[in-house]
Amino acid sequence: MADLLAVTGLRAGYGRAVVLSDVTFRLEAGEAMAVLGRNGVGKTTLIDSIVGVTRRFDGSITLAGRELAPLSPEERAGLGLGWVPQERNIFRSLTVEENLTAVARPGAWTVDRIYGVFPRLKERRGNMGGALSGGEQQMLAIGRALATNPRLLLLDEPTEGLAPIIVEELLSALVRLLRAEGMAALIVEQHAHKILPITRRALILERGRIVHQGASAELLADASLLERFLGVTRR
Amino acid sequence: MPSATLLGQALISGVLAGGMYGLLAMGLSLSWGLLRLVNLSHFALAFLSAYIVYELGTKYGVAPWWSAAMVVPVMFGVGAAQYWLFDRFHVNELASLLITFSFAVIVEAGIQIYWTADYRRFETHYSTLSFKVGPFFVPVLELVLCVVASVLAWGTWMWLRKTYVGKGLRAAAEDADIAAAYGVDHRKLAYLLSGIGAAYAGIAGTFIALIATLAPAQIWAWLGVVFAVVIIGRLGNPLGALLAGMLIGASESLAMAVLSPAWAPVVSFSVLIVILLWDPEWL
Repeated sequence: MADLLAVTGLRAGYGRAVVLSDVTFRLEAGEAMAVLGRNGVGKTTLIDSIVGVTRRFDGSITLAGRELAPLSPEERAGLGLGWVPQERNIFRSLTVEENLTAVARPGAWTVDRIYGVFPRLKERRGNMGGALSGGEQQMLAIGRALATNPRLLLLDEPTEGLAPIIVEELLSALVRLLRAEGMAALIVEQHAHKILPITRRALILERGRIVHQGASAELLADASLLERFLGVTRR
Repeated sequence: MPSATLLGQALISGVLAGGMYGLLAMGLSLSWGLLRLVNLSHFALAFLSAYIVYELGTKYGVAPWWSAAMVVPVMFGVGAAQYWLFDRFHVNELASLLITFSFAVIVEAGIQIYWTADYRRFETHYSTLSFKVGPFFVPVLELVLCVVASVLAWGTWMWLRKTYVGKGLRAAAEDADIAAAYGVDHRKLAYLLSGIGAAYAGIAGTFIALIATLAPAQIWAWLGVVFAVVIIGRLGNPLGALLAGMLIGASESLAMAVLSPAWAPVVSFSVLIVILLWDPEWL
């Protein structure tokens, strides 16, 4: 299958600080990939670099063969990047529905279909974004990204800071998106055991470099590797 | 204590006069609330429009609505050009206040050079027209102004809520970087909004020409009260601006009737202070 996203020799950071070095990986259409690593290893910087809000020093990022480097974040969004930022950053002064329709682009993902994935959003469609709980904000952030009808979802720590029951609800919605809908996604996550079962492949970052790439199922089974790079022991 | 008729008349006159506050406040409120640019030159553009309508009307006999049809698109262009300048030089909120203040002073000087500091009045046969409802007189021009202001306020409000452009503007006003990452081209929308705000100054100017006596320094006459109206109506909210304009117009007019004209600003600015102390989030 053709590469949807190809990151080659990427060196990027903020201002003068280089955070990522020589990052190279491929993601196929319809594929979900987990990005793992401890705090501060550059996971968010990787997502931000694809979105276009960091400084790129070297290397290339292509989406469906198109080089993103010279493009602004608006233009990149237009090519099909659906970003779910770590801070969620939903528009607090817009209603739930306005958050979706303000950025909507024509395509298979209509507002009704998004409500189908997140029925809670439909219940709260008239509420202001600022009045939502953390979990609802996260659902809205994902819904908003879907409303742009992206080719690739970029999820930055989608379960962070949420109550366990909400995490379960969110993960089952993600499973549906990735498996049933075949949405391609790059998912940054601290908790390997939550995300590895729902992704096909995974990469591990350490100090801004990729130290491991492989199938998620294999990584999940390799306790020593998880322990070494992520400091996780069995649940 | 004045009679009920006098109070009723004061209320009607006040609400209608408040329509002008609201109309002037709308453009300012949109620019401040959604572009984070405090455009003091809004008043200057309104008066420049008023003088042009006056000039075309008195010298060439052009009807004010035809003058408006010319002035309003020109003002739209001026507003868009102003945004180009702000964007080109990355002007922030405070700097925009100072720059547009300077711009207003320059326009005031230009008006004074061309039209002199003499008072000017655009006399039309309908300028003093009014009709009677029960014991109350309703001035026709002020009523038309209020209807126009209401249609614009409601239309703009709907536009901001229902259209892709309007929602994009509100999203970008809250967080331009995030909106951009979802494909909202804030700058393109900002040109449009800046133009619309200035076009509203052109519409307000047309009514100023018909209702008020023109003098260059009059640019500043409404500055304080319209600022209060913009804030009371909430930044970026055209319906709020209109309703706040009518509220302030009515309270000023009642204060004048019950107390004395000197009390008018005391009332409007007290309302402003109370609202800001009561809910600081308002701004």
